[in-house]
Amino acid sequence: MTGSRGSQADAPPLLRARDLTKRFTTRGGGGPLGRKSVFTAVDSVSFEVFPHETLALVGESGSGKSTTARLVAKLMEATDGTIEFAGRDVTHARGTDLARFRNDVQVVFQDPFSSLNPRHTVERILTAPLVYQGLPIPGGRRAFAGELMERVGLNPDHLHRYPAQFSGGQAQRIGIARALAVGPKLVICDEAVSALDVSVQAQVMDLLLRLQRESGFSYLFIAHDLAVVRRISHRIAVMKQGVIVESGPCAEVFERPRDPYTRTLLAAIPRIDPEWDRRRREGAAEHASITASPEELP
Amino acid sequence: MTESPAHRAGPDESADLLEVEGLTVTFPTTRGPVDVVRDNTFTLRNNETLGIVGESGSGKSMTALAVMGLLPRGARTSGSIRFRGTELLGRPDAELRRLRGNAMSMVFQDPLSSLNPYYTVGLQIAEVYRCHRGGSRRAARRMAIDALGRVGIPDPAERVDRYPHQFSGGQRQRIMIAMALICEPALLIADEPTTALDVTVQSQILELLAELKRQTGTGMLFITHDLAVIATIAQRVLVMRDGEQLEYADTERVFSAPRHPYTRMLLESIPRIDDELAAPGVVSPTARPARPTDPAPAQEEVR
Repeated sequence: MTGSRGSQADAPPLLRARDLTKRFTTRGGGGPLGRKSVFTAVDSVSFEVFPHETLALVGESGSGKSTTARLVAKLMEATDGTIEFAGRDVTHARGTDLARFRNDVQVVFQDPFSSLNPRHTVERILTAPLVYQGLPIPGGRRAFAGELMERVGLNPDHLHRYPAQFSGGQAQRIGIARALAVGPKLVICDEAVSALDVSVQAQVMDLLLRLQRESGFSYLFIAHDLAVVRRISHRIAVMKQGVIVESGPCAEVFERPRDPYTRTLLAAIPRIDPEWDRRRREGAAEHASITASPEELP
Repeated sequence: MTESPAHRAGPDESADLLEVEGLTVTFPTTRGPVDVVRDNTFTLRNNETLGIVGESGSGKSMTALAVMGLLPRGARTSGSIRFRGTELLGRPDAELRRLRGNAMSMVFQDPLSSLNPYYTVGLQIAEVYRCHRGGSRRAARRMAIDALGRVGIPDPAERVDRYPHQFSGGQRQRIMIAMALICEPALLIADEPTTALDVTVQSQILELLAELKRQTGTGMLFITHDLAVIATIAQRVLVMRDGEQLEYADTERVFSAPRHPYTRMLLESIPRIDDELAAPGVVSPTARPARPTDPAPAQEEVR
């Protein structure tokens, strides 16, 4: 499956992170007079994301995966290391350069409700990325936002609703639509499907895959769930305590994990008896013609 | 209710620890009363784990809270909940309080919000014991140390005097389990006990629960949205959606031959690591063509 990409050999990387490091200064006990200590959340992390590719960054809590995402999205300044985007060094980008970078790189967050302004209509939310950058809205606000709604499988008639009037899955679709507003080259999904119910999660993942097929952008997909990652990524990097312990093509990491930690992670995933599964699939094949699908999208 | 009532009565009536019959939980809302659980019927035998599985809003947690008598104010219940043959619905709160933490106890999803940050964990565990069994502080403290040891907290004699924030998330959940099991309850209700935990910690907690159940014979009601977790821990499974029971049978039957389309859809939706690799870009069988959706469901204020 990575063989079919072919992009890694010929195309230059879209994003290149080199020796990214983030240190936080914390105070232990003792209040303001307490001793300072330095915590390295991300420790010399290097990786590349190629065009049209999905790289998953997987790890448990405290592994530094979300901090890495924030550094790459330039929502946080790295202590050390460099970030190159489309061949340009953006590590210290400011002003116009940063605005251009934000046009190319968008983020979808875990909790759709806290990342959407509750007092803004969907139309305003979806056009905000262009408005903030002073860009013209092609075709007018209404048509532009309506088209985005359709792309993510929502009803364009609901443009004047507020986030609270949508379900969690629908709100996440709005978050995805907003990321697409500027026509990004890289979409960073920070646990974008983790908070969703399993049936909704499957649909949102299908949406993410379809959008990538249609528009050809890359994903940096941050997740704690290896099973989710397996369906969506071409390559995987496993993080632990701020360090990438293993990275490689998706199939290889799952079938021949090299690092003991990756093996521990894989072994910890609860599994359904394969025999039960086999019988269910056989049964499902018989039922296939009469199986009805639930009616509404999330 | 698509299941035949055949499984509802256990083969051995005397072995039933918990019998729930026609349980309905209703909340008054601005748009009139809403049933969050409708006509739910199931039994839990001694030494058995029954998994209640469903997505958010399915009524699985409300079912658990109804059994514990911990439903939010304003909720109305009807039907019957019999615990060791005694009806619980309609019993005075004081009586239920004597049962809770004693003969039946509960472990919640978020251990940090269930523990009091101002007291040491030892004090909190000992309090449960003294409240139901009395005895000296010193004896209760010994019990607490013992309980912490049993749930795998290293160096329990020293750590008994620490505060909740000094433990990791997994250890806090172990502490909650120690507290829930201190009076050796006949029934343990675990409501998404591993949902907030990392996957490696989750597997340890699941093992711990299974091991403790083997040792004590406690019946367990395990509530989760995660079908794979249910598959590893429960002997029987009850699937809920929108307050309704859709399927109720042996775990093997539900997973190998699900009868309800919703159960089938849920099983298809689980992201897997052991099936044939679906390459990115291959749309799963559950995918449907994108199309404009119906209006969002109205937000009911039930909390």
